[in-house]
Amino acid sequence: MSAVSDVRPGRRRTRAMRPWDWSLPPTGLAHREILTVEPATASGRPPLLFVHGVAHGAWCFAEHWLSAAAERGFSASAVSLRGHGGSGGAAQLGRATSRAYVHDIMQAITELPEPPVLVGHSMGAVLVQLVAERYPVRGLVLLTPAPAHGAWATLAHTLRTRPADALAVVAGRTMPMRPELLFTGLEANEAERLASRTGRESPVAQYELLRRRRIGPVRCPVLVVGTPHDRLVRVDDVERTAAMYGVEAQWLSGMGHDVMLDAGWERALDLVLDWVDVEVPPGTPALGPIRHTR
Amino acid sequence: MTAVDAPPSRVVALDRGDAWCVVGAGPHGLSALKALLQSGIDADGFEREPEVGGNWNFGADNSRVYRSTHLISSKPFTQFPDFPMPDRFPDYPSHFQIKEYFTSYARHFGLLNRIAFSSDVVRCEPVEATDPSSRWDVTVLDRASGIESTRRYAGVVVANGHNWFAKVPEYPGQAEFGGEIIHSADYKGSDVLRGRRVVVVGAGNTGCDVAVESAQNAEHTWHSTRRGYYYNPKYALGRPSDQTADLLLALRLPLWLRRQMFKATLRLTVGDFEKFGLKKPDHRFFETHPIVNQQLPYYVGHGDITPVDDIERFDADAIEFAGGKRVKADLVVFCTGYLVRFPFLDDRWLNWSDDHPRLFLQMFTPVFDTLVVAGLIQPDSGQWTLAHWQGQTIARYIEARRDRPAVAARLRQRVNDETHRRFTAGTQYKESTRHYYEVAHQEYLGAIERTIHDLEAAR
Repeated sequence: MSAVSDVRPGRRRTRAMRPWDWSLPPTGLAHREILTVEPATASGRPPLLFVHGVAHGAWCFAEHWLSAAAERGFSASAVSLRGHGGSGGAAQLGRATSRAYVHDIMQAITELPEPPVLVGHSMGAVLVQLVAERYPVRGLVLLTPAPAHGAWATLAHTLRTRPADALAVVAGRTMPMRPELLFTGLEANEAERLASRTGRESPVAQYELLRRRRIGPVRCPVLVVGTPHDRLVRVDDVERTAAMYGVEAQWLSGMGHDVMLDAGWERALDLVLDWVDVEVPPGTPALGPIRHTR
Repeated sequence: MTAVDAPPSRVVALDRGDAWCVVGAGPHGLSALKALLQSGIDADGFEREPEVGGNWNFGADNSRVYRSTHLISSKPFTQFPDFPMPDRFPDYPSHFQIKEYFTSYARHFGLLNRIAFSSDVVRCEPVEATDPSSRWDVTVLDRASGIESTRRYAGVVVANGHNWFAKVPEYPGQAEFGGEIIHSADYKGSDVLRGRRVVVVGAGNTGCDVAVESAQNAEHTWHSTRRGYYYNPKYALGRPSDQTADLLLALRLPLWLRRQMFKATLRLTVGDFEKFGLKKPDHRFFETHPIVNQQLPYYVGHGDITPVDDIERFDADAIEFAGGKRVKADLVVFCTGYLVRFPFLDDRWLNWSDDHPRLFLQMFTPVFDTLVVAGLIQPDSGQWTLAHWQGQTIARYIEARRDRPAVAARLRQRVNDETHRRFTAGTQYKESTRHYYEVAHQEYLGAIERTIHDLEAAR
């Protein structure tokens, strides 16, 4: 199911040289939305930081998951990337890059009292992998992950089933977030309400999803979660993502792409939190594990 | 508990087994301690002050920042790559913000309860001086109680800083001088300058900062430098100039072209230094540690600073410069830099020659594989990206020693062979104590990265 992974997907080694980060750093953001729900009592569990996907925002985790995770003793936060949800930067969204999004996540992390378990959904799953290769996260959860090896299968599938949507994406428009793509079990009204909350996506970041990423060593437990009924991320791609970390993907059958919102979100959240409780049990030190050999 | 195998004179109060000791909780000590813990290596930190920050702990005995100190390199390369400075910080944060930054770094990674504060490391001694893998006895003075105690560690990471021991020059007649002479080590703010006739000696970044503050506060300021320098602006073309410099490197432009572009930029923004009365630089770009000060030529142009030559001699109330110029002054500030000293460590352990340690990657000594120095670098850019990767290199090395001896042995061979290697990116630094530890940041980091790749090899 999971393992402490030092596997190197795409065989990239540790990367110290990041000349573009030094010479063309992402611009700072005057306001960044971070929604947090704290547990009633401290439990010694690691904080959770949720990162949304294309055209979503922190709101998608605030709907159910943040408060439900807090009830189970987790300090649960979700960040809105620039130009998304309640964060600033909407005017510059047209040229936002994944590098800027990684910057936004790093900024959110440094505001946490200790290193978190990162939970990334869809495009957010690619972003949290890019964070994990440079920052010692306690654990990595990839939910219906966009493939770091390039989302060509998604584009090809879209071209076959919804050619107009695929052409829009190629032209730099945001992939239309239709309710039937995101949910399987919600009533039409509710599905429509949630889908209407999605916004725009940066065309640059969307194109970058097609890029093959070589991710460096990730030294933490990794959980990969997919659903066989996902209409955006292909089953093959989820399995390939899991294989890169030497783990087996976990499946949530009957759910749509947005596992934090679709009917059955409780089941999905339990899967994540149960895993965290096993892999990063309460009281785990911020850095570690320390091997005491005396 | 007293260790049985300790020499009779040495009482080891606690044997910490496989744990390592990290001396100092400045940026290099913190990043080394974090890297060790991150790799599952037990470690204790020791810091003589009650707080983290080292040099950036303004007002502490060994802090050398003054009230107005700001970074001279901008955030992107200066910050720890896994803990960026907050967006609310400016391009060039102040030392107050930097200390806040280090404190939040230490808190975030849970380092604060792993560091013994107000604990001065007074001696580090190998248990077996002839054994390159010797364990170490570290004697610590608890500054509150005045009690010394010794603990035994598997190894020691030394991160006690390289900018705290003042290098004070001596000139004929200096003792008879009736005015006041201070070193910038004791310069904490501009109060001391107010209304006085001030000679500032040295054109390092501190010397230029002090000369500018003096221009704003003193009756008059003379700035004595041994040679002409390039005074780089903090901003060029609307961006922090070090980011522009890194962009030229990222584009892989050759050294000669980068030199030409820098000279052209300086000529466009500042102009000809000689027209300000400053000396013409006697060296090419990148051959001295960069000076970043936009204001110095400005105050020279306003007549508040008079550039002068080297000091020749002191009189009772005046100073004579090379060429015979005499100036009546009542305060001299020596901004003449610092020397590297390890008061708790025998110089032999660090392979000293020509008054500085000769270490592989400026970290690893050929004498012991259980003694490592962090922070003995002066990059031509920001410092703490390098601090982070130095820490990671040390941790990977200890990991390799533990898990993959063949890999560690290969590194030992390089440590023995490559202690004289410098990281100059093709230039020849001017011979001076200030350039002993100078590194071209990207070349040095590239060498570090390759070393990490070697250490990550399976066998």
